[in-house]
Amino acid sequence: MSQSNGNHDLFENLRLELRRGCLSLAVLSQLRTERYGYTLRKALAEQGIEIDEGTLYPLLRRLESQGLLTSVWREEEKRNKRFYRLSPEGKVILKQLVVEWQSINASLNGIL
Amino acid sequence: MDLLDRYLQAIEFWLPKRQRQDIIAELSEDLRSQIEEKETELGRKLEDAEVEAILKRCGSPLTVASRYRPQQYLIGPTLFPLYRFVLTVLLIGCVVPRFLIWLGFLLVDPAHRGYLHMENMWVTILYFAFFTTLAFAIVERSGVKLDDLGHWSPRKLPPLRNPNRIPRCNSLFEIGAIAVFNVWFVSMFWPRPVIDLYGAQITLAPVWQIFFWSFLLLATFNLALSGTNLFRPHWTRLRASLRLVADGLGAGVFCWLLRTQVLVRITVPDLEPAKATVLTNLINTWMANAFWYAIAISVMILAFDVYRVVRLNTASRSTLSRLAHA
Repeated sequence: MSQSNGNHDLFENLRLELRRGCLSLAVLSQLRTERYGYTLRKALAEQGIEIDEGTLYPLLRRLESQGLLTSVWREEEKRNKRFYRLSPEGKVILKQLVVEWQSINASLNGIL
Repeated sequence: MDLLDRYLQAIEFWLPKRQRQDIIAELSEDLRSQIEEKETELGRKLEDAEVEAILKRCGSPLTVASRYRPQQYLIGPTLFPLYRFVLTVLLIGCVVPRFLIWLGFLLVDPAHRGYLHMENMWVTILYFAFFTTLAFAIVERSGVKLDDLGHWSPRKLPPLRNPNRIPRCNSLFEIGAIAVFNVWFVSMFWPRPVIDLYGAQITLAPVWQIFFWSFLLLATFNLALSGTNLFRPHWTRLRASLRLVADGLGAGVFCWLLRTQVLVRITVPDLEPAKATVLTNLINTWMANAFWYAIAISVMILAFDVYRVVRLNTASRSTLSRLAHA
């Protein structure tokens, strides 16, 4: 029982690790156009990438603090929303990451 | 939206101070959007159970808040806010009582300055800090999951804090304490040539009449104020200002009393007159020595009263401003 739980926890940890980098890439790719958090989550969900708010917002903050995103508070539909978009530096990094991703994907497809 | 506001408040408590407002505004916007979308889909307002389900899916307040904190090493981000909270409470619990005991010794007899070695306090603080950190580090290493420790529910979150609300138990306590004080004060200290205090004959200076009526008037005024607070349990600008004035006058009169050498003579059965004179002088000296401490305590009380008035004024201005922009 405990072995089974241990395996499950281990799988969860590895799955989260695997997703972490992918999520950054997915988020950056969706922010080529300006979006606020909620619409960004919906856009990702429509593409099959579910991300909860507790993961997305800290990630957005981290990407912004790294200079990859810019954000601005603006009122829309009578509510203040924080809109994010790729910074010029973010665009460059995204291009590099996409190339890297395609390379890894091709390699893994060969291995798996 | 009460449940949502309570949820956000609970998260806010654990967030880094500088980012609190920003994070809460963003998270609030997301959750409100989710609720609105669900309501549009269902064509009705969401019930508490449905809002609860959304919040539970989002995660416990501590878990959500912990994701905004940088990675720790000895104590991880999930436990760290709790560790800081426990450490602060323990250190305050260690420092404040010692300081009060030290202050008490100073007030009773200034000759005992340094009697209580304050340097011992630093050793105690180090012990507290060390064992608290050690305990949390062990919990962190053992991999205890906080979310599993209790069945967390949004409904069990504390109600929204309102700093302007006056707890009824506070008002009741004040009324009881002031009433008892008034009865005791009038029965014991009614101005007369010689006051009998538990067998001791006390002669006070004529100026005592001014102090007596001042204290009685202030106590009665505070009784009326506490009575009003009991039935209208929210601070208003008027009542907060009146409390400030009453406390200011009370502090002023009390500090003046300490400097007045109001005690003329004490006569105690079985006590030689010479010793009674020494005792009289000693009490007058103690009172004079306590003057600056009384000033310090008065300043703290008045600062709190002023803060309350300022807070109410600020809240009132921001409400007016919101109405003007609406």
